[in-house]
Amino acid sequence: MNSVIPIIPIAATNPIDIQSLVQPDRVHKRVYTDPAIFELEMDRVFGQAWIYIGHESQVPKPGDYFTTRLGREPVVMVRHTDGQVHVMFNRCPHKGAKLVPDGSGSAGKFLRCLYHGWTFKCDGSLLSVPLRSGYECTALDLKDPQYGVRKVARVATHRGFVFASLSEDGPELKEFLGGVATSLDNFCDRAPEGEVEVAGGVQRVVQRNNWKIFFENLHDTIHAVATHESSWRAAKEEHESMPAGTPKPFEVVIVDGNGEPLEFWEKLELKGYDHGHGFMEGIFVPPTDPVSLAYVASLEAAKGAERTDEILRVNRHNTIVYPSCSPHTSFQQIRVIRPLSVDRTLVEIFSFRLKGAPEATFQRTLKYTNIVNAPSSNVMSDDLEAYNRVQEGLGSDGGDWVSMHRAAGRDQPLPGGRASNGNSEMPSRNMFAAWAGYMGVDTSTQTGSAE
Amino acid sequence: MNFRDWNEQQDLTQFLHHEARLLDEHRWDEWQKLFTPDGLYWVPLVHGQVDHLNHASLFCEDALLRSMRARRLEQARAYSQQPPTRTVHVLGNIALESRDDDATCTVRSTFLLLEWRKTEQRTFGGSVLHTLRRADDGWRIQTKRIDLVNCDAPHEALQVFL
Ligand code: FES
Ligand SMILES: [Fe+2]
Repeated sequence: MNSVIPIIPIAATNPIDIQSLVQPDRVHKRVYTDPAIFELEMDRVFGQAWIYIGHESQVPKPGDYFTTRLGREPVVMVRHTDGQVHVMFNRCPHKGAKLVPDGSGSAGKFLRCLYHGWTFKCDGSLLSVPLRSGYECTALDLKDPQYGVRKVARVATHRGFVFASLSEDGPELKEFLGGVATSLDNFCDRAPEGEVEVAGGVQRVVQRNNWKIFFENLHDTIHAVATHESSWRAAKEEHESMPAGTPKPFEVVIVDGNGEPLEFWEKLELKGYDHGHGFMEGIFVPPTDPVSLAYVASLEAAKGAERTDEILRVNRHNTIVYPSCSPHTSFQQIRVIRPLSVDRTLVEIFSFRLKGAPEATFQRTLKYTNIVNAPSSNVMSDDLEAYNRVQEGLGSDGGDWVSMHRAAGRDQPLPGGRASNGNSEMPSRNMFAAWAGYMGVDTSTQTGSAE
Repeated sequence: MNFRDWNEQQDLTQFLHHEARLLDEHRWDEWQKLFTPDGLYWVPLVHGQVDHLNHASLFCEDALLRSMRARRLEQARAYSQQPPTRTVHVLGNIALESRDDDATCTVRSTFLLLEWRKTEQRTFGGSVLHTLRRADDGWRIQTKRIDLVNCDAPHEALQVFL
């Protein structure tokens, strides 16, 4: 393919040559710090990819809605009276008011704008306007679909997880997800009833860093032992202070695991897929305490021992669904990444209940959420500090490039992707390959870094 | 509900002031000892949250988790504590919410918390419900529930006990 290298004139004085900023094993600091690049990402990455919107269980009944953002766009997910879930812009076609308030709730049988009372069916089509006669013989044709609420270009669902795309073109959702569809499948298969539902509230954490720094960290295994020393040491000391022979409490297990040596992480496998996705293997050995055993029994009762074994053998830590979310299949949560600006990112953490599993299983999910993902997390506070120091450091004149060389050139091919050892920076390289594609860079001619 | 008398009011008020001071002075060990062995430190995530088990929280810490947090704050490589968070509590509106029996009562107070981190000052505020139990040498905290006015807002890191 012989495409033109894009030189994007953001301001006449400041053209961005994207191609020059991304090499296979290193990227220029501007991709994390330049507000103009952030704006382009909103158009090109978030404007093209399938973006996670929410889960169908967040809008269980007709008229239920849930608002979020798709890139820069405020959107709302609504269940129509026919049961179908729609995703549309949260904007009234009359004078532009946001149609439903931020958050979630029920709109009743139809959506009614607060400003002049235009009403819409829950699929967005225009139902009625006040003073209809005033529009007779005007250029405004109320039968014209453009006077309904604008829908996003495409909506698709995988096992109840709703994704939307602002672009008419591009791969179908299933093809887009590729190898990480299995993480979403396993997420649901772990429920005795084969379905999950959002429950227990949403945690929201503000990060002072570019959104890509957070994504890269999801599969950056080697940071754990260094960055999290304060929390894994505290957890280990806590266990040591208990009477000899005390089994490690769950709270200790999920925190002190970060203290594993680099050889431990090296042995884990990382997988990267087209479109920037990937997953890493589970780092926790499935526990054998009463809560876990009761859960396994509930799964076996529903699916039989053989299938249960098959399901639980799929043991994954973070999955990356680039560029919008990270499901954690074994502790039932999804982190949704919402870029706010070039150096601010909001992460929302949704917890899920496995339908048909004991209540204690869900309570453990929340415990994991509270300890690892809440704003008060002892673990995450040091991550946030690291991200922030990266962001501040990249803003300096101390250097131009960010290295992603570790284990470059040693990936093993996979169908639709590649595999590497756990300490490789393959996931970052993989995400930037996808990023460059969205941003319009012709990567076919790139060979390696050149000083 | 009113305090029984001035002595009871003084007693409980001073307990709350003492507790706040231990937090502001990072005297984590002494603070932890104020709790009953099964005591709960809880900061709900949403207003009117009734349940700390079936709903996520901002903090939901038993003795084990309180101890882990305190230990981490003292680690040399607690990078996000370079420099350590500084706080000052201002308490007010201390009132007796209920008295179950002679040894158990619930006290409601409001608070403002100034927090200094790196280059910025943050302000937190809300109400606190202390469920207290009398021991031989003073009060113990059975539950400390802190309802932040902005509990459901997006937050940056919350590192020290509020
Ligand atoms: S802006 Fe919605 S009805 Fe006028
Ligand atoms: Fe981390």
